[in-house]
Amino acid sequence: MHDHGSKEGLSYRDSNLYKILLIGNPNVGKSALFGLLTGTYVTVSNYPGTTVEVTYGNAVLNKTRTLVIDTPGVNSLVPMSEDEKVTRDMLLSDRADVVVQVADTKNLRRGLLITLQLAEMAVPFILDLNMDDEARSRGIIINQEMLSQLLGVEVAKTVAIRRSGIDKLLKGIQHPRPSPVEVRYDDAIEGGIRDISALLPEANIARRAIALMVLSGDESLKGWLHANIQDHIVVDIEKIRQEVQSKYNNSLGFLINQRRIKKADEILAKVLSLHEAGQGSAIAFHIGRWSMHPVYGLPILFTVLYVVYQFVGVFGAGTAVNFLEKTVFGEYLNPWMTKIVHFIVPVPLFQELLIGDYGLFTMAVTYAIAIVLPIVGFFFIAFSLLEDSGYLPRLAVMVNKVFKIMGLNGKAVLPMILGLGCDTMATLTTRILETKKERILVTLLLALGVPCSAQLGVILGLVAGLSGLATFIWLGTLVAMMLLVGYLAAKIIPGEPSDFVLELPPIRVPQLSNILVKTIARVQWYLKEAVPLFILGTFILFVGHKVGALAYIQTITDPIVVNFLGLPSRAAEAFVIGFLRRDYGAAGLFMLSKEGLLDPTQIVVSLTVMTLFVPCIANFFMMVKERGMKTALYMAAFIFPFAFCVGGALNWVLRALQIEL
Amino acid sequence: MTRDREKGGSLMAEHKRIFGVEGQAGHPALCVLPEVEKEDELFEIIWTLREEGKPTLEHIVQNCTLTECEKILKDLATNGWIDLNGQTVELLPKGEKRARELVRRHRLSLRMFYDLFALDGAEAEACKFEHILSPEVTDSVCTLLGHPPNSPDGKPIPRGECCAMFRQEMKPLVAPLADLTPGEQAKIVFITPESHSRLDRLSAMGVVPGSVVKLHQKKPSYVIQLGETLIAVDKDITKEIFVKKI
Repeated sequence: MHDHGSKEGLSYRDSNLYKILLIGNPNVGKSALFGLLTGTYVTVSNYPGTTVEVTYGNAVLNKTRTLVIDTPGVNSLVPMSEDEKVTRDMLLSDRADVVVQVADTKNLRRGLLITLQLAEMAVPFILDLNMDDEARSRGIIINQEMLSQLLGVEVAKTVAIRRSGIDKLLKGIQHPRPSPVEVRYDDAIEGGIRDISALLPEANIARRAIALMVLSGDESLKGWLHANIQDHIVVDIEKIRQEVQSKYNNSLGFLINQRRIKKADEILAKVLSLHEAGQGSAIAFHIGRWSMHPVYGLPILFTVLYVVYQFVGVFGAGTAVNFLEKTVFGEYLNPWMTKIVHFIVPVPLFQELLIGDYGLFTMAVTYAIAIVLPIVGFFFIAFSLLEDSGYLPRLAVMVNKVFKIMGLNGKAVLPMILGLGCDTMATLTTRILETKKERILVTLLLALGVPCSAQLGVILGLVAGLSGLATFIWLGTLVAMMLLVGYLAAKIIPGEPSDFVLELPPIRVPQLSNILVKTIARVQWYLKEAVPLFILGTFILFVGHKVGALAYIQTITDPIVVNFLGLPSRAAEAFVIGFLRRDYGAAGLFMLSKEGLLDPTQIVVSLTVMTLFVPCIANFFMMVKERGMKTALYMAAFIFPFAFCVGGALNWVLRALQIEL
Repeated sequence: MTRDREKGGSLMAEHKRIFGVEGQAGHPALCVLPEVEKEDELFEIIWTLREEGKPTLEHIVQNCTLTECEKILKDLATNGWIDLNGQTVELLPKGEKRARELVRRHRLSLRMFYDLFALDGAEAEACKFEHILSPEVTDSVCTLLGHPPNSPDGKPIPRGECCAMFRQEMKPLVAPLADLTPGEQAKIVFITPESHSRLDRLSAMGVVPGSVVKLHQKKPSYVIQLGETLIAVDKDITKEIFVKKI
């Protein structure tokens, strides 16, 4: 979601601040450490790929003004996806004073794979063994001093979420060193390294490391190569690579990694000792297993959905909204406001602007604070709990086969579920997907059919008043349309699907403090982003109402809204403001239904249209930024008529079959 | 099992198939080599027909396109390999042994081409192979392939001594990770990936020969564990990772 730290990275880049770069495997706690060092909150969750962008934060560490840089997690510094490339590029072109490699202590083997690559780069770094508590509870003890000796760099042990070990880490940060550890490869590969190194320019990292990236077949390095050396030399380098590759059956990238892992295993054998594991993790482990079980997995999924529905849809959208809207706003705030406005503002037009039917206070603020805020607030709490438990990636295991129909794999479930939080951020998260095809497909499906938290909350509120059959028809239509569009789009969009390889984090008990901080950060984001747009939307409606444009729009949209969709004329208003924010549009429907202007069939039809409807403005801009103007426009041009067609067809079918909802 | 290999070898050049692939009459193509191999072929036909329950003289002649079929059968009977007196053709003890070993080599060869080299319908190669394999090599191939119970076309592979030993001692064997039972641990021996990038990705997560993996579950998706890392993967990938149980 939009709760990132500062993003003004560019202005920091050339500053003379002391720079600390956080690097490590996915889901090892880099963001937690970042928050601890800078006091800036960035989303911390329990799944790989929470951070997809570089985040910058300021701190005073060891009495020095410092710029701390958080990066997306990587399994190798030869990137496989866009977010991994961001991290590698930071090392390649941004000179940090110290690199802090954060490693998951219980998965040190994979951490060392990165350590060895940092050693090859000859960058000054220190190693932080994070989540030491989890390793201990599993009976894994790492000999810190021995590891430090073997690697030739400082090694610290921390539990970032409990702030433990930070002092020692800060001490270590003062003494970064390049590691003297060297991995020797086959003679042919070493020959290739020598030949390529001779052609490479001076860079922030050792030529040997760049040569190894080239040999590993790193396509993403091409841009950098072309920018820094002449084209014909790039061609020569590629020739050397092919020559070395021709000597082996397996890919060079694999052979290089294999050699590194062997080295990592040698180191590990000297520093790792195994003891009796504690019982604590066993329960979590079993929960993790059941949640992916072919039989128990589904009931668990439905239970989770049901609990979220009860919490957000029934309690949040029902009880909390009723209290806020009827009692707080209806009985106190709005009457007070009316009195105050009448007293202070004598001009009727301005009175109406503030407190009329389309009043900025009576409509915009009431919608934003009384209806949507409680709903998204409760949703954010539920969502944060799910995020931190480690349950979400396990859903990928359950739905992998279904996603294959849409040319995707289970990994795509992560951005899709994040879309339930915020489609805008989820569109950014598509960077964790490996192929362009998958990124386009998920962007399209997010814009088409994944309702964001605000909208979903309002929808859950509306659905709560409907029969099970009506809910089923709405959900079934939505899922069917997503599958259909995904299936067809997968046929049309060129490119290959990628392998399903997804790391599953351990099931953890969510930390109350993180849930709280995260929810507050998200609510703040909601208020900052949504309220101004609600006010803008209301203002447009007010002006439209005053100059008669609203009535005019209703007249010209009547054939569609009234005849085709079978909805009351005023529903057009909801669609108009739905352009600004989908949740605002949904809230408009919510009000219509509360006033008793919609029958169940009309609710289902209008909900279906609203859910499939064009994405909100922020999401559209993100689509343009990530996928390009052309693709974004194509998608919008498809989605808009498609939503109405599906709504119209649904209306026709429901009425023709005389289905009582 | 003495055999005149030189003779067979010199005649290899003329080796041509007279049965179509996945033969007519429902029989897989059989192998044709003159002299001793002609006898071998009849043994294979008798064995295969016996599996189907109809090893009558009539059927055997039908399935055999060798011109001197009946003559060879009579010779075999004279030499005490088979018995032609009953309603069906019976294999006598030494004939039984020879047929059994022949069929075992043939079907194991098929299995090997299918599994290891991903060659489907490798009848011709299997035919050459079955005549080259010595008993020791046959058992090694059998062990390498994990003592497979069936040939790729589903016909049972007669068990050898190595299979019995395997059952008793649970000797380590190499099999695709996909074939493990959930909960089993194994060491990766080799990986035969479809694409280079797949292998690169896996190796970055620690999936390399020598690593110990545990198969957690197969449904709804495959989940494997390396050290403390759980990874969900496609089934196709687990078919390409060959492991040795530990």
